[in-house]
Amino acid sequence: MANFDAEDGATRDELVQRVALMEAMIAEGRQYTGRNSWIFVLWGLVDLAAVAWQDYVPHFGGRWAWPICLAAGVVLTFAGKMLQRSNQGYSRNETCSRVMGVWGMMGLAMGIYVASAMVTHFDWQYSYVAGLLMMLGMAHAISAMFLRWRMQGLVAAVYWAGGVAIFVCNSGRATRDVMLFEMCIVMILFGLYAMWREPKRGGFKGEQA
Amino acid sequence: MTNTEREDGVTRDELVQRVALMEEMIAEGRRSTARFGWSFVLWGLVTLIGIGWQYLQPHLHWIWPVAIASGFLIQFIGIAIHRRRGRSCSNNMQSRSIAAVWRMTGIAIILYAAPAIVTHTIHQIAYVAAIFIFLGLAHAISALILRWRAQGVVAGLWWAGGIATYFVPENNVLTIYIAEMFFCMVLFGLYAMWLERRRAATALEQHHA
Repeated sequence: MANFDAEDGATRDELVQRVALMEAMIAEGRQYTGRNSWIFVLWGLVDLAAVAWQDYVPHFGGRWAWPICLAAGVVLTFAGKMLQRSNQGYSRNETCSRVMGVWGMMGLAMGIYVASAMVTHFDWQYSYVAGLLMMLGMAHAISAMFLRWRMQGLVAAVYWAGGVAIFVCNSGRATRDVMLFEMCIVMILFGLYAMWREPKRGGFKGEQA
Repeated sequence: MTNTEREDGVTRDELVQRVALMEEMIAEGRRSTARFGWSFVLWGLVTLIGIGWQYLQPHLHWIWPVAIASGFLIQFIGIAIHRRRGRSCSNNMQSRSIAAVWRMTGIAIILYAAPAIVTHTIHQIAYVAAIFIFLGLAHAISALILRWRAQGVVAGLWWAGGIATYFVPENNVLTIYIAEMFFCMVLFGLYAMWLERRRAATALEQHHA
């Protein structure tokens, strides 16, 4: 292909450069997600700890299991982020900022949703748990679209399937099992997967899996 | 500041060009949202009509499926007309991101609402709160990407509605629902449409001048 002028006046070399820049931004966005994927692992463990506390030692302040574990999760997330910021310099491009925005807003929305439901004791409703999974799926799906990351898209679909399953099964036991699977296993596995991919710098570039 | 090469090889002119490009992309992203302002108005009206219809004929079970199906039909016709007139949304990064946010939100809400309607779970407080929180989340992400304060306010209103739903007596939830649909859907949609019309008029004036 010759180096002719394209319709908008850009030469082929310029177009190649633009595509390379976009690919680099997407790859950096995925690396950014990978660098922060310890947060997924942390929250999976937080949920697991709360469920275990509530189930196995209910007499030991069982009704405070969720509020205490969630508060500890928030403190650990902020502490981890501060530590991360002091240890490494971030290079944040537009895509990274957008992904960060998605997760920041998701955290805020989920905080509002969970806190209000807990204070008013509506957190037993099926639609509450389904709503949590749908929200997580939404954030993963938007991030997957920004990063063209098929694996994250799959995770979004798994969360959404969990939300639908809760309504369809319509039972306390099924809701509990789905919640446990999605909030603990899927969250931890995706976090570990992203952490495993992250050190392979450039490994994300152009990768579709 | 002179137009000298900086350490990273980027001149001041290039930086100015990049900033201008980013500003143009943000402005185009807002215009894309404004072009779809009718969509907010449509869904606000569909919901308000559904509520009114159910109030008048509470024994009918197929009101919501009919109202939502009609909404989709009108939406698809509207998009087809938009495309035929060549007014579909532009293809820059910001516009694509906003489109991704709303598409994923749409899928999440459909996947959440459809099984809830089928299994008769929509009377749960957490269901209504979750819908408000989802919509607030989408507006918040969009507002962050487009640096659009008005949309940020709308996100805040949706979230405030989500919180209020948990705290007010159950018979006041419908009032909140109607208020949210009117202010955050219909009024925001009309505001966006007014912005788009004003921009189009200014562009026409500049063209003639």
